[in-house]
Amino acid sequence: MIGPVVRLTLRALVLQKRTLLLAAVALLPVVMAFVYALAHPAGSNRHDFYSGLVQQLFVPTVASLVSLVFGVSAFGDEREDGTILYLVATPQPRIELAGAKILAAWLASMILLVPSLVISGLLGLGSEASASLIGWPLLGVATASLAYCAVAAWLSLYTRRPVVIGVLYILLWESSIATFAASAKKLSISAYGRAFVAHVLPQSSPAVTSTGVAAVVLAVVVSVALWATARGLSHRELP
Amino acid sequence: MSDTPAIEFTSVSRWFGDTVALADVSFTAAGGVIGLLGHNGAGKSTTLKLCGGFSTPSSGAVRIFGVNPRREPDVYRRIGIVPDHSPPWPFLSAREVVELSARLHKVRDYRGAAAEAIATVDLEDAADRRVGEFSHGMRQRVKLAQALAHDPELLLLDEPLNGLDPAQRGHVIELLTRLGTEGRTVIVSSHVLHEVERMAPRVLVLVNGHLVAEGSTEAIRQLISERPRRVLVRPGGDPRALARALLEMTSVDAVRIDDGTVEIETSDPTALGVALPQAARKLDDVLASIQPVGDDLESVYAYLHQRARGQAR
Repeated sequence: MIGPVVRLTLRALVLQKRTLLLAAVALLPVVMAFVYALAHPAGSNRHDFYSGLVQQLFVPTVASLVSLVFGVSAFGDEREDGTILYLVATPQPRIELAGAKILAAWLASMILLVPSLVISGLLGLGSEASASLIGWPLLGVATASLAYCAVAAWLSLYTRRPVVIGVLYILLWESSIATFAASAKKLSISAYGRAFVAHVLPQSSPAVTSTGVAAVVLAVVVSVALWATARGLSHRELP
Repeated sequence: MSDTPAIEFTSVSRWFGDTVALADVSFTAAGGVIGLLGHNGAGKSTTLKLCGGFSTPSSGAVRIFGVNPRREPDVYRRIGIVPDHSPPWPFLSAREVVELSARLHKVRDYRGAAAEAIATVDLEDAADRRVGEFSHGMRQRVKLAQALAHDPELLLLDEPLNGLDPAQRGHVIELLTRLGTEGRTVIVSSHVLHEVERMAPRVLVLVNGHLVAEGSTEAIRQLISERPRRVLVRPGGDPRALARALLEMTSVDAVRIDDGTVEIETSDPTALGVALPQAARKLDDVLASIQPVGDDLESVYAYLHQRARGQAR
């Protein structure tokens, strides 16, 4: 019975004040695409702009930060105010509770990220926009976001500073180390998300893997994080 | 209802780093209202958290209806929980909170069950208002309603009377007493004995994580009233004369003089209350002040702790 828990969590996530801040983060690519569409320098390649926007800003920063914060909040806020007890003290299977929370965090992320990516794509690509040029990046964002949400939910049960750890991972590991150390990319969620983008857009550096393998890796990440989160509900100290 | 005890604690200890929250506690609970008494930090909430499956014992075993709730969450169908410091989601109405609880506890007619639970705690008029707008007392009643909605056999209530006005307290005490006489096991934590004794025929007293007394409420009350008391008396006249007169009385166990004040130790404060003015009158003395020492609840718990340690030795 994950429906009521998904709705409850979605309501809590949407109502929180930091959602406004996340909406501002999600608006950033739209603003950049809007400015580009207005200026559109002669001889500039729309595909190159859009590719850069998606691969250097949207997937590694915007999608990751939005998903991280929602993923952490899904359990973290309830751990803080103690309401998590009202969910845990029920006969619901722990895997379903964890799954419902991660799903709600992912849906909340998608509410902000999907319009942002679609509008950025339409503005950036102009008349060259197509379903595949927006659809594949959207798939990359959606799968990477799900993985970030799952890992963030797991972190929120096991650490006291899940946002700090998540931001350090995104900024230090994914956006810094993984950009010049090829092997480090293999431990980067955003690199696997970008593999979907590489299917239709030019790359500044070689993709970490094919879309098929990226999908499998992200599915494994989500499954392991889901299992660990469910385990945390029955093993961790609750307030 | 099965024969398996609702709660079974076997040599349960729980520590956090160097802090011992619960030390080698064993008890069983099977039916009726049981008061869990102790000062703040005595281990009441830790005990209830262990019962509720929100914590794992550092050593020993906790069984709820014969199983570990952390491993077998299905047992929560039979448990209702009222946590102390956790009001339900503020953006939901009272009805939504109780319906959600009933639904998650797999109650088929969750709407009907929620309406009944809300009526039981006398909250129908405010049922559709958001919990965030409620007073502390109303939130307590929402918490109670969500715990009752699935008709549990075991209720774990952490300070459920906190924030309630006298009329609401009376209502909740009456409700819990009825639930206990129906054969349910109701564990109620409190730091106020007279509150607990109105509903719980059995009491467990925790002090600094130790179970220092266990038994009927009357027996615990007797134990507490029989403990030695100390009274400081400042006489108007000669303190040594008063001390001599007091030592002849059977109600006085010991007397000490310190800086013009007479410190009396007695195990029968009622008799001392009669004898002391008589002694003063006999000496033609006017007592300047009479001050009981260690009559607060902390001292009562400290006494029970000392007594339990003495018995253990």
